Amino acid sequence: MLSDERNRLLCQTDPGTPMGELLRRYWHPVAGAAELRRTSVKPVRILGEDLALYRDRSGNYGLVDRHCPHRRADLTYGFTEERGLRCNYHGWLFDHTGQCLHQPFEETLHPEGRFKEKVRIKAYQVQEKAGLIWVYLGPRPAPLLPDWDQYYRRGFKQVTVSEVPCNWFQCQENSIDPVHFEWLHDNWSRVLRGEHGDRAPAHQRLGFDEFDYGFTYRRIRADTTEEHPLWTTGRVCLWPNCLYTGHFEWRVPIDDTRTLSIAWFIDDLPGDLPYEQDVIPCWEAPVKDERTGRWIDTHVMNQDYIAWIGQGVIADRTMEHLGESDRGVILMRKRLLDDLEEVAAGRDPKGLIRDPELNHRVHLPLVPFAASATGPRPFVFLAGQPKEVFDEYAQAWHACAAAAPQELTADG
Amino acid sequence: MADATTGRVRSAAEAAEARAYGLTRADLVEWVQFSPIEIYWARKHHLTPAVARHWAAKGLRVGDAVRAIALGMTPEEVAPWAGAGFAPFDAVEAKETGVPLETAIAWLQAGFILPDAALLIRDGWTLEEAVVARYAGIAAEDHGPFPVPGCMADSAETESRPLVMELRVSARHQVRHRWSR
Repeated sequence: MLSDERNRLLCQTDPGTPMGELLRRYWHPVAGAAELRRTSVKPVRILGEDLALYRDRSGNYGLVDRHCPHRRADLTYGFTEERGLRCNYHGWLFDHTGQCLHQPFEETLHPEGRFKEKVRIKAYQVQEKAGLIWVYLGPRPAPLLPDWDQYYRRGFKQVTVSEVPCNWFQCQENSIDPVHFEWLHDNWSRVLRGEHGDRAPAHQRLGFDEFDYGFTYRRIRADTTEEHPLWTTGRVCLWPNCLYTGHFEWRVPIDDTRTLSIAWFIDDLPGDLPYEQDVIPCWEAPVKDERTGRWIDTHVMNQDYIAWIGQGVIADRTMEHLGESDRGVILMRKRLLDDLEEVAAGRDPKGLIRDPELNHRVHLPLVPFAASATGPRPFVFLAGQPKEVFDEYAQAWHACAAAAPQELTADG
Repeated sequence: MADATTGRVRSAAEAAEARAYGLTRADLVEWVQFSPIEIYWARKHHLTPAVARHWAAKGLRVGDAVRAIALGMTPEEVAPWAGAGFAPFDAVEAKETGVPLETAIAWLQAGFILPDAALLIRDGWTLEEAVVARYAGIAAEDHGPFPVPGCMADSAETESRPLVMELRVSARHQVRHRWSR
């Protein structure tokens, strides 16, 4: 239970809000790199700011104010050039720093004029890594964009994007809530499949440990012991807005009532045949079943979305009743509230990496998983995977299996 | 992976984690009862195996032991908390947040686990306020006893309802007051 004031403190992320200032200290993924291959300009709303993300013809990224300072036209309808983004209304051109480079008619009439040099729009740093486009909206110098070791793992990778109509914080609380797996995913899925017999193994103990980049949460269920990797290693609540279980699920605030759920997945491939993807595919995962008007409930993350959305657009934490299963949630709230004070005092919050020597294939605790030995696995996390994405994975799996030892049976 | 010296069996998953943290077989023998991430964390915070084991004997993992030491605690401070029914790591949380054992017991008896209580106390709630707020949402949905098929609610239940209503109004008022601070 929280006071309304505390709840707002944790949920509101617009510029100038304490949590907004905290989250602006981190890099956030906002799109798949593949998206910016298909279209050169994309509207992006993040942390309550409307922006235009672009990739110019030189391959450089920019993230600038969505509105041209000339007459406020929408720059996401502009077009890219060798250097920068040009407004489609009167042709003003801006580079990735926000500097205006060209004002066609002004310069025709006043070739010696210097007006363009005085015009600069809001612009933020952008980087591409692991098939994702990352942006940084905070004060300089920016921390380093984390270089997680999992990005280098051999396997088929894909990125998904969904817009979830609720506040980011209830999404992230889910990242440190072990017991929900038993009910939301295991037991409910059994019911949805028409299985009304045995329930999933019940949770017996929970543990939470802080480490450099977040917290691990650990569990013992009725079918596991203290020797199990889910207890010795656990899963990762990655600071400040991600879940890591071998794949990553970021919860990026669009604004206070919408969250960009952007995820990075990897499927291990059999054998050891070298495998590299030219482009990591990115696809938009639907959240609603258009036939019924209900939220999709067939896949793991879709089930999470139902829980988050069901809590309300912004969960009213004055009305909740916390218990033992919520220790992780309380831990996260406390740590974030501490971080708010750190930022207010001018210090770095938890988990930033500023030392380049530390930022090389940084390890995150991982409960290992193995490549399927019997065929390509169906994608269980989100509904709506395009056939061509699955086909690309299946093709990679079969190619690797064919070159692998004989115990693999390519029957997929 | 079984260690020849200790007989401790580490799973393939633990072995992979150990490699990721750059731990050697000798490290794993020296830190036999600890997981790779605990060993990494202990070393980062200059905790020796002997000290870590001493805290572990009191029920604290390395992460909580590191916090406890930073707070100037001794392992012996854990026992009263464990004896009162709290998890051992609650002793560290209480020390960090300044919640005395008697206060924690009172809040626990009212339904608030220690970290929840500590956060509420930090935000200025009294136990009385918190109890009212905690049950206000539930009491507000109290429309009286469900009728049992074949039975009518007895007069005692009917007479108790005005009191429930009064409590409900009071609780709502206090919660609203609390939010408006």
